[in-house]
Amino acid sequence: MSNVELWLRISALGIYLHATYVSLTLGIPLGIIVLLVLHSRTKNTFYLSMAKKLTIVLGMNFALGAITGTLVEFGLVQVWPGSIIAIATSALSPLALELIAFVNEIALLVLFIVTLGKTSTGKSIAIITAYWAFALLSGVLITSVNSWLVAPMGTGGVAQALYPFMPVFGEQSMDAQKLVALKVLLLATGSKLQSVIQSPDTASRIGLLITDPTVAFKGELSLASMAHNLAAAVIVGSSLVLAAYSYRHYKTGREEYRVYVKRLALVLLVLIAVQGAVFGHEMGVAIAKYNPTKFALMEKAEATFTNPIISFLAYGDPSKPIIGFDEMSKACLSSGNKTIGDVALALGLDKNALLGLASQLGIQVEEGNLDKVLSTRVADICLADLEEAKSRMSIVHYSYYTKIAAAIIALIAVGLIALHDKLPLIRSRLRIDARMTLALSIVFMVGSSLSASLGWLVREVGRKPWTVYGLLKPEELISISPLIASKAFAAFAVIFILLVNVGGWMAMYIIATRESALPTRVREWLGGER
Amino acid sequence: MPSLTENIGFMALGLSVIIHVAFVSVTLGVGVLTAWYRYVAYKRRSEEMEARARRLLGLLAASELMSGVWGTVITVFLAGLFPGLTALATNVLFLPISIAIIGIFIRIPSIAAFWYLWGRVDPRKHVALGFVMATSGFLIPLGFRTIFAETMSPHAIATYLASGSAPIAQAYTNPLLWVLYVHTVVAVLSVGGYMAYTVLGIHRDNQGAAGALRVGLYLLVAQLLFGPLYWLTLRAHSSYVYQNVTFGLTSPLFYLKLATIAVLLYTSVKALRALRTGRIIYTKHLGFTALFVAILGEFINDASRYPYMVVTGKEGLPISMFFNYYLDMMQALPILSVILFMILLGLGIGTFAIYLGVARKMIDYVS
Repeated sequence: MSNVELWLRISALGIYLHATYVSLTLGIPLGIIVLLVLHSRTKNTFYLSMAKKLTIVLGMNFALGAITGTLVEFGLVQVWPGSIIAIATSALSPLALELIAFVNEIALLVLFIVTLGKTSTGKSIAIITAYWAFALLSGVLITSVNSWLVAPMGTGGVAQALYPFMPVFGEQSMDAQKLVALKVLLLATGSKLQSVIQSPDTASRIGLLITDPTVAFKGELSLASMAHNLAAAVIVGSSLVLAAYSYRHYKTGREEYRVYVKRLALVLLVLIAVQGAVFGHEMGVAIAKYNPTKFALMEKAEATFTNPIISFLAYGDPSKPIIGFDEMSKACLSSGNKTIGDVALALGLDKNALLGLASQLGIQVEEGNLDKVLSTRVADICLADLEEAKSRMSIVHYSYYTKIAAAIIALIAVGLIALHDKLPLIRSRLRIDARMTLALSIVFMVGSSLSASLGWLVREVGRKPWTVYGLLKPEELISISPLIASKAFAAFAVIFILLVNVGGWMAMYIIATRESALPTRVREWLGGER
Repeated sequence: MPSLTENIGFMALGLSVIIHVAFVSVTLGVGVLTAWYRYVAYKRRSEEMEARARRLLGLLAASELMSGVWGTVITVFLAGLFPGLTALATNVLFLPISIAIIGIFIRIPSIAAFWYLWGRVDPRKHVALGFVMATSGFLIPLGFRTIFAETMSPHAIATYLASGSAPIAQAYTNPLLWVLYVHTVVAVLSVGGYMAYTVLGIHRDNQGAAGALRVGLYLLVAQLLFGPLYWLTLRAHSSYVYQNVTFGLTSPLFYLKLATIAVLLYTSVKALRALRTGRIIYTKHLGFTALFVAILGEFINDASRYPYMVVTGKEGLPISMFFNYYLDMMQALPILSVILFMILLGLGIGTFAIYLGVARKMIDYVS
């Protein structure tokens, strides 16, 4: 496995583990709000005590989310420092705004913890809702940054110049000439982006790259991703709460747990239905438009084919064919003998201009290598990258359809919990007692988690071989530090990430269930209660 | 001279560093005292000492929370406003930054575990956990202080820029680093002592307050050695910063700091004498004065590099060499920064106020 591939997997591990806390951060508040509404309506203090316990779990989870978020943040900047160029351009506005969301999230969470039970339930609902709103805003902003990597809006037709099957990514607000010049110099020197941008004065020498700092918020894909990702996170986080209280109901038989599970399941049923019918649909449409290779991978379209249902869902036109890799290869070949040099020249970049820029930026480039890159046929690069994308077909395709199946199973499971006693046909044929509710809630939790995890896999693996779709690859963004090449350091990173997360999960489990649930051996090792 | 946008960027980064350092000083210093009180409570089977440790833990947790928030602010400002510096630091200082990250990941879970497992596990193990919590915090400046040392006196960065490579641990041979690190550690311990005095004083815990005050005072006295040592090291290895601190831009603040230290020493001795007669005086003043000294110190340290981002002897690399020109900051930043500054300032004050309120509530709660 190459070094780049290894660090991609380690990064994915870190992000996945962080995502579990993010889901809970977004999902638990919904669970708390339902509890507080029940408390407000029934005046039953048991709901308040349930809310208090869930709040402690939320607090611990938030701390762990912040810790692992820091790990991911530092990890990405340290391991993939080429991404700093994105942070300094398209991602700066969302990340700066995210700070405001993050600070308010913390302030409101602390306020909620401190005041819960000491102020009116209405005020508590208002505070936790405000906290939830900032948490969602934080998610929206981070998603917009990721969405720009998936569909780099503002880069116009730069990707299309190299890959004719790609779309135009919005109105050109990034300097195409500079982007292409940087790309050519990276190809000619085999350098990483970090080695260029780390040199003092590089930014002032390169100058303006972007004129619109709000590009990350633009385009259908960004909006669809915000809704789709956040809804998925809320569903996954809440599914754990649902399963936990179904278990409590099963163990204790308390009526309050049953009522709560039913109410929460109803809310989740609505959410998962909207997720599938509206957000998921919009996401699919956006992918079909902006990520043609990913869409072909999802539909296993080696060759172009027609499927009225998929075409209607993706394009709104049942007669339109699903574009496969054959058509995209043809598009690559349509550029004939056009070379990288021609693409550069069309933007006013001849060899001398490129050498001049290299010298200005202190990049050592051999003329022979530059000639080689400039004379490379666009079609060759296009076909090679298309082939690389195609190599991930099985994993993307099967992950995508497993995700859809898992989501449907989750929808049925939560639907049965929420509605079975309201639907006589089901009620007469299926007895859903506490044990069955527990089983269904577990199916819902597993189904929704699997669906969300695979959805993220499709999103990330599907846009490979690029990190910034059509523009930059991971091998150009990875760190040049010698430690990154060390297998021992990579092993240390994996162990460290796992230790932090296993410890975190254990801590949350202990808090949620109290020390009675401490595994005996751990309890013995710790020395038992004082 | 730096442009308006560069000045705003430099100040935005500086402001977030200073707010962050204020909270870090409290959390690291109070952390050591908390662990120590917990140990003494176990050794002497003293419930009184245990109560003290619990009171301080609340302050520690709230400070840690706020320092974490501002740490994130710094990261975004660094990468967003100074991308060149961040790219260079994440390469040349990869190892120190990794050490700091490891410190963060041991520190935060250990605080949570220390809080939650109190009274639930064997006290010996709880005491050990307390020391892990306290000491792991010092890994963080051990990593991040290399960035400060390298921007004031480039060592690893100079080697890298001259030759294209540098040993991964070369930042640790920077002659400025260790003096800066010791100066920092003693400062935070002293601030921790004074803040503990404030907390315990509010609770009318005379004996505890006296012990904490002694810690703060003795370490402040130790700074009379480490402070001048750092100042002399600056003269030897970062003459521009030394000149600015002693005679230049930040010198008025430097002398204000010296005067404040003198006042702090005087009032501390007075407070100690008062404690012998059973009176607690200057309860709030001492803690916040010590914190003010730490903030002043950090401000002087960082602002003295102005107008350079990296100082090299008598001159330096200007802010413009590392500033973000990829974005249309010239048009957008002045307005955006004023808004951002106002928000940051508001949030800074707001979070500080919440922190104080929460710290008090948490102290009451865990007590």
